[in-house]
Amino acid sequence: MDIQRHLPPPEPTGHGDEVEVRILTPHIAQPHFPAMQVTGYGLSLAITLIAFAMVAYHWMGLNTLVTVLIVMAFIQGALQLGIFMHLREAKGTLWHLPVLALALFIGLGIVGFSMWIMLFKSGVS
Amino acid sequence: MTMNPWITHLMKRLFPPQVLLPDIIGIDIGLTVAAIAAIVFLTKTKRWGWLWREWITTVDHKKIGIMYLLAALVMLFRGGVDALMIRTQLIAPHQHFMSAQQYDEVFTTHGTVMIFFMAMPMVFALFNVAVPLMIGARDVAFPRLNAISFWLFAFGAILLNISFSIGGSPDAGWMSYPPYSELMFNPGVGENYFLLSLQVAGIGTIATGINFLVTVLRLRAPGMTLTRIPIFAWSALITSSLILFAFPPLTVALGLTMLDRIFGASFFTLGHQGMPMMYANLFWIFGHPEVYILIMPAFGVFSEVVPTFSKKPLFGYEAMVVSLLAISILSYGTWVHHFFEMGAGPGVNSFFGLSTMLIAIPTGVKMFNWIFTMWGGRIRVSVPMLWQLGFIPTFVVGGATGVMLAAVPADYQYHNSYFLIAHFHNVILGGTVFGVLSGMYYWWPKMFGWKLNERQGVWAFVFFVVGFWLTFMPQYFLGFQGMTRRMSTYPPGLGWTALNFWSTIGAYVMGVGFLIMVYNIIWSRIHPDWDTTGDPWDGRTMEWSLPSPAPEYNFARIPHVHSRDEWWEMKQEGRTDEVKISEETVHAIHMPRNTPMPVLLALAFFVGSIGMVFEWFWLAILGGLGVVAALTYGSFADYSEKEISRDTILHTEAQLGRVES
Ligand code: HEM
Ligand SMILES: [Cu+2]
Repeated sequence: MDIQRHLPPPEPTGHGDEVEVRILTPHIAQPHFPAMQVTGYGLSLAITLIAFAMVAYHWMGLNTLVTVLIVMAFIQGALQLGIFMHLREAKGTLWHLPVLALALFIGLGIVGFSMWIMLFKSGVS
Repeated sequence: MTMNPWITHLMKRLFPPQVLLPDIIGIDIGLTVAAIAAIVFLTKTKRWGWLWREWITTVDHKKIGIMYLLAALVMLFRGGVDALMIRTQLIAPHQHFMSAQQYDEVFTTHGTVMIFFMAMPMVFALFNVAVPLMIGARDVAFPRLNAISFWLFAFGAILLNISFSIGGSPDAGWMSYPPYSELMFNPGVGENYFLLSLQVAGIGTIATGINFLVTVLRLRAPGMTLTRIPIFAWSALITSSLILFAFPPLTVALGLTMLDRIFGASFFTLGHQGMPMMYANLFWIFGHPEVYILIMPAFGVFSEVVPTFSKKPLFGYEAMVVSLLAISILSYGTWVHHFFEMGAGPGVNSFFGLSTMLIAIPTGVKMFNWIFTMWGGRIRVSVPMLWQLGFIPTFVVGGATGVMLAAVPADYQYHNSYFLIAHFHNVILGGTVFGVLSGMYYWWPKMFGWKLNERQGVWAFVFFVVGFWLTFMPQYFLGFQGMTRRMSTYPPGLGWTALNFWSTIGAYVMGVGFLIMVYNIIWSRIHPDWDTTGDPWDGRTMEWSLPSPAPEYNFARIPHVHSRDEWWEMKQEGRTDEVKISEETVHAIHMPRNTPMPVLLALAFFVGSIGMVFEWFWLAILGGLGVVAALTYGSFADYSEKEISRDTILHTEAQLGRVES
């Protein structure tokens, strides 16, 4: 199987955003079996199932559980971004960095606020 | 006669007593007749091939925009009929036009249809129609994904809309809070329909968000820097980013509820230590940004309409952009105001009350910007501008009552009363709907090549706005007098009767306004007032430099942009001939080919969803396999582009008088 894609050389967009970032240069040519993607897919499924199992079968106490889940969420996020979201395949502009920072900020905000908001429940149930 | 028990069981599941009411059967018959008539018409006039080639498999953003618009108008009709049924029931005390159960179903579909299947597609219609044209692009960034989004929305809408005649409608409100939406309290398939239809449409919405984010960021014409893009395109950009962050929490909430209902999990159940309130939390993490997803495109429309009809550049472009950004950031931090009464305590509530009030500031800034744009301008009161003028007072009232609701102790009184109902109709109807209707009248000539009749448009507006105020002002006072939302009937003697009566009359007046609008569209189609210039309003932005409707490839030559109101500047400086092409400057254009994959993918989602709704897992698996098959086909199919040759372009442009001699 040959998934060779030919990218044209980056055309100047005229927006003045052509910043070359070394670690973000293209890795698209991929003439071999997508072993990385398949592994990544398997891993992300496994992480999801383990997370469900940990909650369903009470593998650990509440505080440890929350900590472990958050760590797993980060691993999951890194897998998705690194393997499927083409994070390493950018054509050399800095667009993603602020966007990723924003995503992180909002993601953490949602989780953090939700925990704060729902804390009162722990006294009830 | 004995029937096979399996068939009896199936019939009972498909047609429970709640869908066998006389009015529903009447509608079923009417719809069947209409469908047969449509099929006969298409066959007689041999239009199936045309329908398939020109519309169903299209990836052209202009056609997708038109399909969104027509679907949204149909949904506006459906949601409007629901609204009139609700108001008819409430016209006087002790009415039994509908049973309490049917009343619940009707207000649930009303809300769900209006938000997800009317307002959202209306917004996407305008994005599709206008954004690529105003930024000088030939299509959106991912045309095929755009078609996928549309078809997912369409099949999601069909799924929700068939519920009332097959299986039964959802009845737990547009936010479907547990525990009432839990299986234990809400057996039957109605809630499943709710979950699956929003899930399917939601995937499409997220894809649209990605699409327009990339379109505006990457496909702008050379010279169109971020400080030069029209505000409507800015609003598309910012709305898309909100979609991207807001819809996943909804996906999660719906997905987990589905696990609860269909697979016996207990994320949000009362039993087994589920947390029903967590659903409310997740829902509003989505829900509050959602209301801004709905309003920001309207802000964008008005920021185009006001300068055009005042013949002045927009006052405070930078302030507009900054306030849009501020609103988008702030709107993530306010969601708790939808459940102050949950009991999270004073710390949480004051934080979110304050953050909510803060949003009123950037919103106020925009109001002043529009007013200052009009100030000293030469104002033409055409229909799009009328809707804008109608919007200013309605939205100010809506915003002010929003701030009242954000005052936590006061909200303990207002919450879930008719005061709240009046607030959000003020902002959604008087804001979003006025905005998209303004945009519809504004860009209609660009979509179809003919204008909508002005006089009829004015009448539609007058009826709509008068009906609007008459409907919703009394509801604030009903709220003060203690009438709560979702009551299916009420006793006399509480001082509610007269207010409810007038509110219902207002709703009918609005209904008349809608009918005039439909008449306006049909009449103008029969007696078209052709727009031969491509610039019927003396516009300012790039879409008006194109013929109406724009050719398939939009721009024969991608323009170079030098200023904010590029087309206006060109007209002022007598440079309008720059849009013409010549033998030397024209090049062949590559456009994506049509593909049946999007509609087949959405159909597979639909079939699978029916399987989940009725818990026929074989069908769900079949649908799932269909999804995988469509995606596989989509990944490996040949996507070579079609080439529009120089000759074709020259020929097309010459006919439009756009070739330099
Ligand atoms: C000045 C800006 C606004 C403020 C301060 C504000 C504040 C609020 C508050 C505090 C509530 C909750 C009230 C309660 O449940 O007791 C609310 C509900 C609501 N608002 Fe607003 N709002 C604003 C603008 C908007 C806009 C622009 C929209 C939509 C276009 C909107 C749509 C809604 C909806 C749909 C609900 C209620 C949903 C439901 O319970 O079914 N609001 N608003
Ligand atoms: Cu809100």
